[in-house]
Amino acid sequence: MSDTKAETAYKSLSSILTNTPPSSQNPASSLLYDPEISSQVSALLRHPNSGAGDDNLCRWLYDTFQSSDPQLQLVVVRFLPMIAGVYLSRVTLRKPLAGFEAVLLALYSHETTSRKGQSLTVNVPDLSHPSIYHESKAPSKNNATDLNLAVISPSLEPHGTVRSTRRARIVGVALELYYSKIPQMPVGSKIEFCEFCQAWAGQDGDMRKDGNGGDEVINQKEGISKEGRIPLPWELLQPVLRILGHCLLGSNKKNKELYEAACCASRSLYARSLHDINPNAILATGSLVRLAKMGLDSQNDQVDHTQVPWTRVISL
Amino acid sequence: MADSGEYEGDDDGSVRELCANGACMKAAEVEAKLDEGNIQEAESSLREGLSLNFEEARALLGRLEYQRGNVEGALRVFDGIDLHAAIQRLQPSFSEKSASKKCRSRSDSHVSVSQHAASLVLEAIYLKAKSLQKLGRLTEAANECKSVLDAVERIFQQGIPDAQVDNRLQETVSRAVELLPELWKQVGCDHDAVAAYRRALLSQWNLDNECCARIQKRFAVFLLHSGVEAGPPSLGSQVEGSYVPKNNLEEAILLLLILMKKYHLGKIKWDPAVMEHLTYALSLCSQTSILAKQLEEIMPGVFLRSDRWNALALCYSAIGQNDAALNLLRKSLHKHERPNDLMALLLAAKICSEDCHLAAEGIQYARTALSNAQGKDEHLKGVGLRMLGLCLGRHAKVSSSDYERSRLQSEALKSLDGAITFENNNADLFFDLGVRYAEQRNLSTALRYAKQYIDATGGSVLKGWKLLALVLSAQQRFSEAEVVTDAALDETTKWEQGPILRLKAKLKIAQALPMDAIETYRYLLALVQAQRKSFGPLRSLSQDDKVNEFQVWHGLANLYSGLSHWKDVAICMGKARELKAYSAEMLHTEGKNWNFILTYEISNLNLHLLHAWKVTSLARFLKTFFFFFGSSCVMHEGCGQTHEALRAYINALLIEPSYVPCKVLVGSLFSKLGPKALPVARSLLSDALRIEPTNRKAWYYLGLVHKDDGRIADAADCFQAASMLEESDPIESFSSIA
Repeated sequence: MSDTKAETAYKSLSSILTNTPPSSQNPASSLLYDPEISSQVSALLRHPNSGAGDDNLCRWLYDTFQSSDPQLQLVVVRFLPMIAGVYLSRVTLRKPLAGFEAVLLALYSHETTSRKGQSLTVNVPDLSHPSIYHESKAPSKNNATDLNLAVISPSLEPHGTVRSTRRARIVGVALELYYSKIPQMPVGSKIEFCEFCQAWAGQDGDMRKDGNGGDEVINQKEGISKEGRIPLPWELLQPVLRILGHCLLGSNKKNKELYEAACCASRSLYARSLHDINPNAILATGSLVRLAKMGLDSQNDQVDHTQVPWTRVISL
Repeated sequence: MADSGEYEGDDDGSVRELCANGACMKAAEVEAKLDEGNIQEAESSLREGLSLNFEEARALLGRLEYQRGNVEGALRVFDGIDLHAAIQRLQPSFSEKSASKKCRSRSDSHVSVSQHAASLVLEAIYLKAKSLQKLGRLTEAANECKSVLDAVERIFQQGIPDAQVDNRLQETVSRAVELLPELWKQVGCDHDAVAAYRRALLSQWNLDNECCARIQKRFAVFLLHSGVEAGPPSLGSQVEGSYVPKNNLEEAILLLLILMKKYHLGKIKWDPAVMEHLTYALSLCSQTSILAKQLEEIMPGVFLRSDRWNALALCYSAIGQNDAALNLLRKSLHKHERPNDLMALLLAAKICSEDCHLAAEGIQYARTALSNAQGKDEHLKGVGLRMLGLCLGRHAKVSSSDYERSRLQSEALKSLDGAITFENNNADLFFDLGVRYAEQRNLSTALRYAKQYIDATGGSVLKGWKLLALVLSAQQRFSEAEVVTDAALDETTKWEQGPILRLKAKLKIAQALPMDAIETYRYLLALVQAQRKSFGPLRSLSQDDKVNEFQVWHGLANLYSGLSHWKDVAICMGKARELKAYSAEMLHTEGKNWNFILTYEISNLNLHLLHAWKVTSLARFLKTFFFFFGSSCVMHEGCGQTHEALRAYINALLIEPSYVPCKVLVGSLFSKLGPKALPVARSLLSDALRIEPTNRKAWYYLGLVHKDDGRIADAADCFQAASMLEESDPIESFSSIA
């Protein structure tokens, strides 16, 4: 059943792409992981006139997402960094972007439905109460009254169109969906995301590369970074930072290219937070930058505590 | 593995040996046999030389191979032992133990022997797992490692006895506990990794503090960054009344907080990464007050104190406690600390720029920041200039003389214009410039920046629409302003439309369409009702978005007073007062002569003032007070009760001497009281103009005073100013949006 859906999606995409990819045994997986297909789709999404209401690729993305096949939905989510990136950077140019908006709204409403519109909250623990990981001889004052409830994503209203004041929220929620699927996302998608973070920040954070005066000069992509600067309200920046945290510190199979891209993005966003003098963002991005630096510093002298130490005398 | 160098330890000249049962053999001899590929021979020479049994000899050989880096060889050796059968053999002997409590001495020796045997077998399995890991056979490695833990749980059903445990056994167990989740992570089995972490932390393994801390930290990092939703821990691990995290963030924060506490208790070493991860997690949840508490608890000496003050300042500023933040920044910017720290300077300048009494201090911070924005920090020059401009502009509002004010204002504009050469894509700058130019009534420039701001933000920020509408209204282009408010309404959802609707109502009034305005207000009130019904505590709507019901009634009251519908004014005021607790009881006097009520209220206000002073915050109270007072004054005046009105105005001024609308109204009243009062009126009006130079009413009444005093030329100037200002008067003060 889903195989035929995937095949249909594969075929209809082939008719949109310029270089028709060869037919595939496992179309859903090829759509998600084939670098040739992704690079062609990405190129089309980056095209100066992409994203209009009659854009075939956007229609394909929309239809594919609406197929409600989880594997195929992943394919659309995979291209979210590119869609959101191009869309947000292009909003100010007053171009028709209904195609992008349709895809983003589809992702938004998917997340709204699956969350039943509920907000996401975090009960920040108070250590004076015992927890599963620690004991506490707290005067059993009362159960959970001292918890600090933090809303990390407010409740969701259905949206039929992208109103400009809700744009950041809609994209932010789509990014929350991306984050929830991030273990399945290919590295290429995450790298694209990091590159757009840099563009959105509008700051090349390279001057911040090394607090200790290391003068590493990195190529400055001035062209991109100046053009793409967008307003970064917290409702957008917060999911961005969660994804970035994953790119920087999450994957155990360290991909060097992704790690570099994530480092650059963190530095850019840190510089941007300083420009905005946004305390919350300075704290979050600053800690990412320092953690990246600690990771680099301790790479060589990490002690492996699971190693059996070498001894001259081997005894029973 | 990075540490393969550990195996090549021959260089120090000491001879490596194998020892057991009091005898020793040179490792090299055995190795020679192994190198020939002759495991059996090596094994039998060990058994003879050290009088060992088969399993012991194999375990020793495996360890030897492993230590010299020959993991394939080690695997071959271990494969020769049936380790799982050995575990089977170990089990019953221990369950016997619990049954034979009476013969204590015998059972103790029995335990140590069995522990030794267990240690031997478990270490062999563990080394097998490590060898497999080194060969990249990760799933097999994880399964072997897991079998170590399973075996421990089966052998020691009551948990490991911490008093009498064999050191080497404990080491093996600790290593296996630590290794297992890492192996699952390397395999990519994230859910197995989560299970392994929780097993490590929730079961009794008798781990030492550092080992446990390492596992807790790694698990916290995994939860924070892996993107894998771990789900809540199983019910089995939950204890009645204890806190159970229900998602990744909660569990990670809990673990990090526990690590911080362990550090405070001196149980573990300081790990800066823990603090950074906690900072990241808590700032993502906007719970920086908890972060501040953590920072305050850290002992001196861990952080550079200026770093800690700066971090604390960020925490407090993020939750809006700017006073606390500024005090900390003052400490860290002290000349003996780090007076040139850019982040601290900019944050301090920003906080100061929001308060006209601090603005002068902010100017200093911004200037220092500017001179320090060099080299790699040159990109912050624009920010420094922007902050300088904002502080100068704010400071201008409290300047003592006209000359000083205009100097500060032009300097402020110069700074902001300078900032834009550094940051020509910073939308916030467009907004700042738009507001500044609008306040100076340079409306065409203001209009340009307002439009630029809307372009740069894609119309996503409400205050941009408001600014544009206000500037257009100041240019008396009301219908265009209305087009803007309509566009803004299109771009907002119903819940956020309050402020725009309020503007729209005012635009209707300005166009002399009071009925339309009343209609808009009615819609607004319906919105208020709907919001009140549908917002639970978790519906977080920022304060700006919420319709301020009080303001709605206030606006309606003003509208009716403009129409001289005094009864309606009274009703609106009554509604407004309903929102404030301290005057609630007076509302029961409905139906009485409103005039009487008001007089009664005014005479009693001082009393209420005392009560209210205690229960409400000063700022909120004053706002209420002035609305109430201002409106009742207008009513008195409207009814021709000049003296009552005057009394109310003066009372109001005693509370807040720089409240401009009252000053102007008192001035105007005095100007009607005859020639003796004219100098008082004049000084009041001049004072009002010092505070708010663009108040057209003040200019107008001042003109009247001059005229009555016979200074016709001065009067003409004032009237001209008033009329020019009237032509550029926005429907709401520009500073209301900044």
